[in-house]
Amino acid sequence: MYNPRYIIDVLADNIRKTRNPFGAGNGTVNKWWKGVNLRTEGDAMLYTGLMYQLMPYIKKTTKQIEKFEDTTLADYVGLQKYVPKVMVKSAFVFMASRKDKEYFGGILRNIVKLLERSGVDFFYRPKLDYYSGILLYDLGDLQGFIEHAKFVAGKLKEKGIRKVITVDPHTTYALKVLYPKYTGINFEVKTYFERLNFKGNGYGKQVTLHDPCFYGRYLELSDVPARILDEFGIENVKVRNSGKFTGCCGGPAESISPALTKEILSRRYADLKETGKPIVAMCPICLGNLIKAGADVQDLSALLADCA
Amino acid sequence: MTQVNPEFAEKLEDFGVDTTTDCFNCGTCAAICPLIYEHFPRKIIRYVQIGAKDRILDNYEDLWKCLHCGLCIQTCPREADPGDIIMGLRRFVVDQWRRS
Repeated sequence: MYNPRYIIDVLADNIRKTRNPFGAGNGTVNKWWKGVNLRTEGDAMLYTGLMYQLMPYIKKTTKQIEKFEDTTLADYVGLQKYVPKVMVKSAFVFMASRKDKEYFGGILRNIVKLLERSGVDFFYRPKLDYYSGILLYDLGDLQGFIEHAKFVAGKLKEKGIRKVITVDPHTTYALKVLYPKYTGINFEVKTYFERLNFKGNGYGKQVTLHDPCFYGRYLELSDVPARILDEFGIENVKVRNSGKFTGCCGGPAESISPALTKEILSRRYADLKETGKPIVAMCPICLGNLIKAGADVQDLSALLADCA
Repeated sequence: MTQVNPEFAEKLEDFGVDTTTDCFNCGTCAAICPLIYEHFPRKIIRYVQIGAKDRILDNYEDLWKCLHCGLCIQTCPREADPGDIIMGLRRFVVDQWRRS
């Protein structure tokens, strides 16, 4: 286990100076939209919170911190905050693999297709699409989170954004629950799957939905994707623990203890495997972890786009 | 020797926690917690109730093992929100660091 103090200090410093938890440039990380015909004005802003885009970098970083966990080198992680941000940003340009960036960017492009098919009036502005700061909140740095949330909410408010469409549970929770509470600024927040209104054709398919903790418990949204699968003719073969009693993938511990994440993930994966069906994830962190565990898993957006 | 300090639970209200004394230590949270680790979080909540601040600070790393998955919050029969108490303790510890 890493000393939480060092990890929090590094993340808080990165977010404060670059608005990105890794200290990477948002322009470097957020490129999925290039070549996609997206409007910049409309009713609701597609707000990714950069979670899917960060996954290739999280994968690389986790591999590194796995190596040094519980070694004498672990205590040097805190020194990262003294590295000039321009050097950190440069390192990120070459850090993630093209294949991973294409895979996770493809998920966002699928979401665009699904929203278009549903006739949703939406737009995207990459420069307004910031990381929500949720990791600072989860790790207990409330002041750091509030400072960042005020910055992000202020930028959105300044540009007249009132409605957002989110793509992952963590950003959804931050914007829907935490931002009003800690910044006083309210947005009308809906996940992309709440905006879908067409019936695809997935008859004969069987899958197992893995509900992320934030959709299952904190936001109580698990019934929506389950209903969509039903409307698509896809059978959801239920895992033993789902909805309000879903099992954690271990992701929240990853920045402090990859070993603990592995332990929790192995238990959840064992539960999911019991159904014998391909797994469908709705959260980039769960998806990344289940891929790492070797699961037959795809993102909900990919399944729905296949059946659209 | 640990000194009992019932005011510690009140101090945590500054960090968003006001349910500590609702807990009657049944252990449902420890039974449902995916960590399966030394009566976590029940034991830590008991430390808060008796004000064993030093015990908590000596073992502060345990607080960051919590996944904040919400299973304990979902199942607590007293609605004492054990996961949120752990979150409040993290905020308390971070605040101590920033002040030191």
